[in-house]
Amino acid sequence: MIAFIARRAVLALLTTFVAFAAAFVAIRALPNNPVLARFGQHAVPEQVVAKMDELGWDRPVWRQFIDFLVDVAATGDLGESFFYPERVVDGLARTFPATVELTLAALLIAVPLGIVAGVAAAVWHNRWPDYLCMAGALVGVSVPVFFLGILLMVAFQNMPTGGRLPLAMSYDRSTEFIVLESLLRGRWDVAAAALRHLCLPALALSSIPTAVVARVARSSMLDVLGADYVRTARAKGSAPQRVVFRHALPNASIPIANIAGLQLGQLLSGAVLTESVFNWPGMGTYLVAAVQRSDYNVVQGGVLLVAIVFVTLNLALDVLYVLLDPRLRHAPGAQ
Amino acid sequence: MLGVMSACAPPKLTGTLVYARGGESDQLDPIHVDTGESVKVIINVFDTLVTYADDSTELVPCLAESWDTSDDGLIWTFHLRDGVSFHDDTALDSEAVVVSIERLIVPDHPLVFDSVIPYAPDFSVIESVRAVDRLTVEFHLREPSAVFLANLAMFCASIVSPTALESQGRGFSTAPVGTGPFRMEHWVRDQQLVLKAFDAHWRGRPQLDRLVFVPVRESAVRGQQLQRGEAHFADDLPPAELDKLAAHPEIEVQEVPGMNVGYLAMNADRPPLDDRRVRQAVWHMIDKQRLIDVAYAGQAAPAINPLPRTMPAWHDGLVDRAFDVEEAQGLFREAQQDLGFSAPLELELFVMATPRPYMQQPQETAAFLKESLRPLGIELRIVTSETTLHFKRLSGGEHQLALAGWSTDNADPDNFLYALLDPDNINDHGGNNVCRYRNQTVHELLIEAKRTIDADKRIELYREAQELIFADAPMVPLVHTKVRVAHRKELRGYQLHPTGLTWMRAAHIEDGQP
Repeated sequence: MIAFIARRAVLALLTTFVAFAAAFVAIRALPNNPVLARFGQHAVPEQVVAKMDELGWDRPVWRQFIDFLVDVAATGDLGESFFYPERVVDGLARTFPATVELTLAALLIAVPLGIVAGVAAAVWHNRWPDYLCMAGALVGVSVPVFFLGILLMVAFQNMPTGGRLPLAMSYDRSTEFIVLESLLRGRWDVAAAALRHLCLPALALSSIPTAVVARVARSSMLDVLGADYVRTARAKGSAPQRVVFRHALPNASIPIANIAGLQLGQLLSGAVLTESVFNWPGMGTYLVAAVQRSDYNVVQGGVLLVAIVFVTLNLALDVLYVLLDPRLRHAPGAQ
Repeated sequence: MLGVMSACAPPKLTGTLVYARGGESDQLDPIHVDTGESVKVIINVFDTLVTYADDSTELVPCLAESWDTSDDGLIWTFHLRDGVSFHDDTALDSEAVVVSIERLIVPDHPLVFDSVIPYAPDFSVIESVRAVDRLTVEFHLREPSAVFLANLAMFCASIVSPTALESQGRGFSTAPVGTGPFRMEHWVRDQQLVLKAFDAHWRGRPQLDRLVFVPVRESAVRGQQLQRGEAHFADDLPPAELDKLAAHPEIEVQEVPGMNVGYLAMNADRPPLDDRRVRQAVWHMIDKQRLIDVAYAGQAAPAINPLPRTMPAWHDGLVDRAFDVEEAQGLFREAQQDLGFSAPLELELFVMATPRPYMQQPQETAAFLKESLRPLGIELRIVTSETTLHFKRLSGGEHQLALAGWSTDNADPDNFLYALLDPDNINDHGGNNVCRYRNQTVHELLIEAKRTIDADKRIELYREAQELIFADAPMVPLVHTKVRVAHRKELRGYQLHPTGLTWMRAAHIEDGQP
């Protein structure tokens, strides 16, 4: 088990490095010039040339990459945004917690709801609950989040349209995990307000993951429900709910855990559309703006964080499979 | 659960104006920025030596109570207002003005912490600036300049607190200190930027207690917030949204004719566009009124030359080339016979990916032009690039035709004609003469106008230049768009300025309303 995890961890580190290097090269391959972007329509030729030279952005990419690594090794810092004075680390600390809270809230809705819908669809296969759930899932994946978001705002006129806290509420905090931190500090008023602001964006964001989880849950439950041992369990006279929840669902859970894990990774890398509609100060908005104007350091830092999140999740999922599936636990490779 | 939570309404704000806008400010040090989102905060935090009158672009005293000019126009002496203080209690004196201006013109100034200074060339005419006594500042110019005073009214010439610069260093750009009606309170990037009334402002304390800028990226959501009363003021709204809001009983829409121009640039370095008959033919093919209906929801005025109509130097004697297909075909065929290019002529039209204030629907505009030019025998291929890349490629002269435009910096004709059409501004690093227009006579007129202080004589020079430019047709001026903002009716005392800038010092919120 430990050797297995160690092997995976080394692989994860390599993956992260490759992803980072790829992002470093890709963002520089874009024909954009961030120095010109800073000047907008008021570029001063001499200043542009001087600035490019100062930053070393006119050198070959491999040279820039080595310079960057040396720089990081020397300072231990990922640098600063080119457009405003903020360290990339601070920018990520500001936006990633918002993304984490939104993601977790959305998955808290999506996973249970998706499983219930998927299981119901499988149990009443080809009957109205099945049609209803699958039609719902189809709508869920197809409705644009932008439209759904506006629709929710119109439907819930009293719910806030955006942001994480009411404008009038100033609240000194040491992290941007607003819900978590206020709960730990016992600031119930802040927690309630933050949760209230979280409702509509989480609801909008959960539409696609709910649908995806429901479909996977349905098909994997259908597989399992058709298996011999389930028929045996039924033949022995087990109660229907015992057959579904004790015998079938645990065996159907690996694909569900897998898809939920992937959704988690995807949402953690930022949900641009939802963030944009609900004015949610998350990582998606932060990174997309950075890509659009080639804010090199921010893009690199963001990709690094996203890569780390993904490989960590994958590692966690690998371990989780072993725990969920006794066969893997006893396989020779896992020892 | 939603129902229960809806019951607790958000606390009411009084004296606080919530300003919903499309994006976030990058930074707030006046000399380092070029984006509108930064400017709308900066003008409320800082004052300049001179500023515009409340309802026109006439220059009036601000931090400078008065000024006089030497006979040769090379020495300008400004007399500062006494008793003005910065937000950090530093008193405004001539030294503060010297520091603020020297930051723009002295290379490697010790109080400049970033080498990007977009407007530096506008101040290069200043040779030196010195403090004569506590309240008198003297500017020495390299040559007489008619735009010098107008440039001092620009946000980048804001007077900054030297003590704050010294103590904060780079931090100044996120915690700016000026003499303006509002002072920085706090700023959580992408969430809210809060300004607070400055009690000791020399005009008297503003009536608002707080001014909160909130970035709301979707324009439809900005509209929603306005209707609900969550925001009092919103800008950068598309025409359709504004028309809807104008019908709302609690919302008022204000508009001014914008000091801008959207145009079709024709690269004179790329044959056959170097022949003015071809350019004139293109001009004749465009039905501007229909373009305005199609791509601007009717909210723009047709342009005849790059200068906005609201400028005194605008030439009222020029009559636009009529939309006339036969006339166009005649010119085109004549040029074709002389030059021998084949028809249909295939040309690339470069288009920006995102809307600009003067080009609100670039794709629709491009499609309209494509249809317009087809009967002439010109087949357009539309090439769309992300906006900064678009302008980079235009500066490099990669285009044949391109959508471009300009919004005023200082409300001066020089800022349109010299910036957009003088050969001095052709270069690969952001040069704005993207038509690559070179006319020696026009160049001489524009340079002379730059140096001519006498207003009437100056207008004469610009009229002459406009006539020559009109005949050469280096660009097809398309539209001057309106600047429109929407606000709730309980917001009183606010008047949208002709420059489109949003000063909030006179605004207040009527009590008793949500």
